[in-house]
Formats: sequence, structure tokens, C-alpha cells
Amino acid sequence: MAHQAMSIVAAALLTIAGLTGAAAAPSASASAAPVDLSGYWDLAIDSRYVPHATLLPSVTAAMIATHAEADAHAVRWCNLLGLPSLMDPGRPLNIRQGRREVVIVANIMNTQPRHIYLDRTKHISNDVFDPSTTGDSIAHWEGDTLVVDTVGFSPTRGLTAIPGGGYRTDSSHLVERFQLHNKGSILLVSSTWTDPKVFAAPQTYVYRYYRLPEKFDPAPANDCNPFDATRTAFLEGADSLETVSHGH
Amino acid sequence: MATDPRAMATDPRAVGSVIAIGLLAATASAFASDPAPAASHHLEGDWVRTDQNHSGSFDGLAGSFAKAQLTPQGQADLQSAGRPNLRPLIGGPHKTGQAYVVVQTPCYIPGYDGGGALGVNPDSGAIHIVESKDQVIIAPERGGARVIYIDGRTPPDGTHIIPNGSGYGVGHYEHGTLVVDTVGLRSGAVPAGGWRTPATHLHERFELSPDGQHLTVHYTYSDRAIYVKPHSYDYTFDRLPADNAYALEDWCDSSDPKEATSIVPPPQQ
Repeated sequence: MAHQAMSIVAAALLTIAGLTGAAAAPSASASAAPVDLSGYWDLAIDSRYVPHATLLPSVTAAMIATHAEADAHAVRWCNLLGLPSLMDPGRPLNIRQGRREVVIVANIMNTQPRHIYLDRTKHISNDVFDPSTTGDSIAHWEGDTLVVDTVGFSPTRGLTAIPGGGYRTDSSHLVERFQLHNKGSILLVSSTWTDPKVFAAPQTYVYRYYRLPEKFDPAPANDCNPFDATRTAFLEGADSLETVSHGH
Repeated sequence: MATDPRAMATDPRAVGSVIAIGLLAATASAFASDPAPAASHHLEGDWVRTDQNHSGSFDGLAGSFAKAQLTPQGQADLQSAGRPNLRPLIGGPHKTGQAYVVVQTPCYIPGYDGGGALGVNPDSGAIHIVESKDQVIIAPERGGARVIYIDGRTPPDGTHIIPNGSGYGVGHYEHGTLVVDTVGLRSGAVPAGGWRTPATHLHERFELSPDGQHLTVHYTYSDRAIYVKPHSYDYTFDRLPADNAYALEDWCDSSDPKEATSIVPPPQQ
């Protein structure tokens, strides 16, 4: 029953947010933008609809374990984390919409801002683009929905885990749809990952962000010190409070 | 000035005046759509700092600036400072191909929050400026993001600001020039022998060249505890072509031992 209700809610959310479409239409700069997404946006306990991913049979448990180990390494060493975790960093997102691009600042130490270009209709050529944890994002408006298309991911850098299962690779393709609701107080973002190496079916999940007050003042980014022994002890599974507090 | 249209049509000086007034009006109207605090969008784009005096090095660049005149307190603060994660060279000289360990904590500078001074005083990595309706974001490729509020707010009392690398900056536009006032910067060095603390006031003016391709940032630090007189210098930037420009990711893996060592030159032929 609960599962059925969840499915209905999810279907409604997905219908609202829309799921189809890649960034093929001409881009429109923010000067012609129908809405302004700018603001501080927060995820709450009820903000995530994340179904289980359908993985290819060729994705083995060993491959999943290897990626999980690499992800733990990235967290342990304060590496840049990138997408998709940048969109759920545990702190409010600062989204600012300019004329040429939308920038998303996660305000944690180990992410760089995400740049979503409104003035390009094509991705940067593979010959030129240096694969990264956030890839190359271009966007256009479909009505009042910002459709963002991202490729060019690094298969090894950062936190590669995708909500619901799977991981990003160099052939991952992400399409996101950003849409304001409730008079601009809610931002729905649906994220659809496809990857011929990982997913048997597109993996789509939806985040529902709450707008924070206009004059919200975020605290500076938290420190992330990979050489902090007590932090390392904690992350490596120290088995007592004493060990965690004194390091190895 | 002539008021008779027929006279204006035959008087070259009057025609010149009309053209001049027209140009002024056009220029004014270009910025008239930018009443403070709304964004101008003229600064938006990718910028790379230039070596304006052809010095070939960072030290050489700052060497052309007027040296900061520090109070005894400022001198003491500066002398007690040092980059905390640099490691003195041990042993040597090393053999060809043998690297020095030069950094104690690779990819991590204690006390540096990534938001920082790079958004205030960029190095050779590009910066990306985004102007939204209520904030200007300066995102350096080395990481972090500097937020400048242009929504008309006044900074909170200094005691309510958590010092950080980019401080608490508020800005407004004066005829297309972005004027920013910042306090709350984390203590640290300032180019040309300066020093800053959270109480130091930084005043910046972001001025665009008429063709929009060059940016000059005028910096002025004021702090009676540190400076005998305000400390000023300029940085200049060139706009990167918009086509095919994108923000590079400055990747640094602190678990990689090579990140801690000096560059090893390849064998010479």
C-alpha cells in the first residue's frame, strides 16, 4: 500500500517535472529566460524520490564494490566529488542565474562550482574537453523548464555513485529538468542518467528543493582536512569513541 | 546650443554636439538599465589575469606595485606569517630525476577554505564571473566561489561574520563599474607586502574597457592597525573567447605522493 502510494506520488512528480528530451533545441540566454532559478535551495528529509536503478547484467557485484571503494577513497582524501553528489551536498545549494550561464555552488570544501552554459548549443569537442567530475553542461529552456544536458564525465575522479544504484563512467549522459513550483518556493529537479555500460533502463530520480529566505546567509564552507588523523580513524571505521578521538 | 532645427542642420558644431549628446545618451542608456543593485551582466564571462608589466613571474608582477606601508603591528603580523604547509628542502642537492618533497600536506592548505583569496586576488588560473539579479559570483578554477551581494544589503556587524577566504562582500554598480566593499577576510598576505585581518576593509572597483574585452580591478586595503596609509594596486584581466570556453577542473589528489614533490625534469638529450 505504501509502495503503491509512493509510486503514485513519484509518477505525479515525474509527470510534472517531465522526463524526456535532450539538449538539442537552440539555447536561450537568461535574458530571455522565462523564470529565474536564483536562490538558496535546501533539501529536507522528504525531498528525495529515488527508485532503484536497473543495471545491466554485465555490471557485476565486484565492479560495484570497486567503485564503492574508490568513492570511499575520494571522500577520505577530500577529492573533488562532482556530480551527482554536488546536487545533494548536505548544505543549501546556491544557484545563480546569469545571462550566459547558471552557476551552482555547493559551498562545501571538496566541490568546485558547477557551470551550466546557456549560450552554447553543442558540447565542447572531446578533442578539447578535459573530462571532469561535473562534465560539460549546456542548457536550454522548454517553456519554463530549464533542460540541462551533461556529458564529459571522468570515470575515475570523485564520487561516482548514482542515487538508486550504478555509477558514472566516461559514457554517462545526464539530462536534468529544473522547474519552479508553488509560486517559486519549490524547485523540482529530475535527473535522468543513461549509460550503455551501466544501465539497462534510464535511471531517473527527483529532488524537491525548498527555497530559503532571500536574505539567507550561508556559513562558510566546512574544512576538509585529509591529514586529520581523528577524521581518518572515524572514516576507516574506528571501533570506539576513544580511537576516533585520538586517531590511530 | 542651437535650437532651430534648420540651424542645427547647417552648423557642423551643432551637428557634432547632437551626435555627442546622442552617443552619451546611448552610453548612458546602456547603463541606465543597470540601476543599482541590479546586475549589469557586462562583467559576465571568463577572465585570465594578465602580466601587465611583462615580469614573467608572480613576484615580478607584484614587484611593480607600490609597496605597502605597514604599521609596526602590520609588520609584526606579516613577519610571523608563512604558508603553513610548505616544507623546507631537506638534504640535497638531489640527483637528476629525484624529486624534492616541497609540500607537507598536498592539495590542502590549513586554514584555507577554498573560497578564497583566489576570488579576491586571482592567480594565473581563469576566473568565471556570473552576474545574477542579486549576487555576483566569482568562481576561480582553483576552487571555491566568492559571493558578492548586490541586493542592497548592508554587511552584518563584524562580530557576526565568520572570517573566510573571500570575506563578506557587498557591491553596487556605478555607471557600469562594480564597486565592492569587503570585510571579514581571513588573515593572510596581500600582494606587495601587505597583510589583512578580518577587520581590514577591502574596496574594489571592477572597471571594464570600452570594448568589453579587458577588465581592471582596483584594490584598496584600509586598516589603521596595519597600514600607515591605504594600500592600493591594480590587476588586469583579458576576456576569454566565449566560443568553446569552459571551466577547467583543477584536480589535485592529496593521496598522490607526486602532488607533494617538485617537478622532475625529463632526461636531457
